[in-house]
Amino acid sequence: MGLLVLFMVGFCFILAFVGGASGKPLPIPHEYGRVIIRNFSEQEGLGAVRFDHWLHRAFYTCRLCHVDIGFAMEANATKIKADTNMKGFHCGSCHNGTRVHGSKKVFAACSLGATLGEDTRCSRCHSVGKKVRKEYEYASFTEKLPRKGVGSLVDWEDAEARGFIQPVDFLSGVSIERPPLTVQKDFSIASRGWMSAIIFSHKKHALWNGCEVCHPDIFPSVKKGTLKYSMFQICDGQYCGVCHDHVAFPLNDCQRCHTNPVRR
Amino acid sequence: MPYKTRSAIGKIFLLCWFLTAILVAPKESFYCGSAYSQEDWRKEFDEICSKTENAMEFSVEELRSLVNRCDALKSRVEKLDEPQRKITLRRLQMCRDLYAFAFEMKEKK
Repeated sequence: MGLLVLFMVGFCFILAFVGGASGKPLPIPHEYGRVIIRNFSEQEGLGAVRFDHWLHRAFYTCRLCHVDIGFAMEANATKIKADTNMKGFHCGSCHNGTRVHGSKKVFAACSLGATLGEDTRCSRCHSVGKKVRKEYEYASFTEKLPRKGVGSLVDWEDAEARGFIQPVDFLSGVSIERPPLTVQKDFSIASRGWMSAIIFSHKKHALWNGCEVCHPDIFPSVKKGTLKYSMFQICDGQYCGVCHDHVAFPLNDCQRCHTNPVRR
Repeated sequence: MPYKTRSAIGKIFLLCWFLTAILVAPKESFYCGSAYSQEDWRKEFDEICSKTENAMEFSVEELRSLVNRCDALKSRVEKLDEPQRKITLRRLQMCRDLYAFAFEMKEKK
């Protein structure tokens, strides 16, 4: 029995070393959470849009964009159009040239008949295949933010707890005034294998996501024990894997969910 | 100037005033009905979807009522212009799904 446990622990270390339980290589920090949006722009002679989650998530909650503004949770599923942006929806909800972030006006996302001089502005988003100097660079932007786990990614939760970031959850004219969230209790999710149980924090998840991001689309049941899912499904991008391994911390970081030591 | 001529000039003058008023007046003032209904759907939408954070706190009856209100509002939202229609329908569907989900959970208990 002891030998088996030793083998399992050793196997786990090997997996973590060569690329993690998800079988994917370790994420490159500045590319982690990147989404390339190429529904229509290339047909119009523009480069595809490079969207970096790390920048936007530092300023806004997941809920604000994926519920209030209406971005789908799947890349390229929203079918964002320049026309929609110009009318003040999707990217144009913030990127409208008038909304203020900090002390600066947020640049307008799209416009009709952009002149040559405006090409620089278009390239701020339509940057795939171009050498564009971004206003915010990952290295300098995240320099002082805490890091954790494999890949030395930013620990956004800790960054917020320590006051480095204050993600905004309300956008005037877009969001709805709501009463404060009633935080649901944390609960444990039993592990069927040799890994320890997970203590799922509703508080951590609900504050950034609200309820409707996860229920019922991602988790169609809250009754304990009803929904059974495996690491295979999670690694395949289902359940926790919708966010973790794409934007939220990667699945290689076993101990961030399975917090207790491996069962003996 | 004869009385008839003066009367005709007066009528033309009044007609000109009337036409000018129509042309100059803001376009919205002719669509009071639609402007009101625009405001109306938004109010109902805000009212329904502002409660999602506490979906699990509601009773089965309250949740059923919220789902019904979502369904009733859907037909009104479907009449909006794009892209308002598409975006609001998605948001409304998320609200409805959450309430329906909470309803199902509560009913199973």
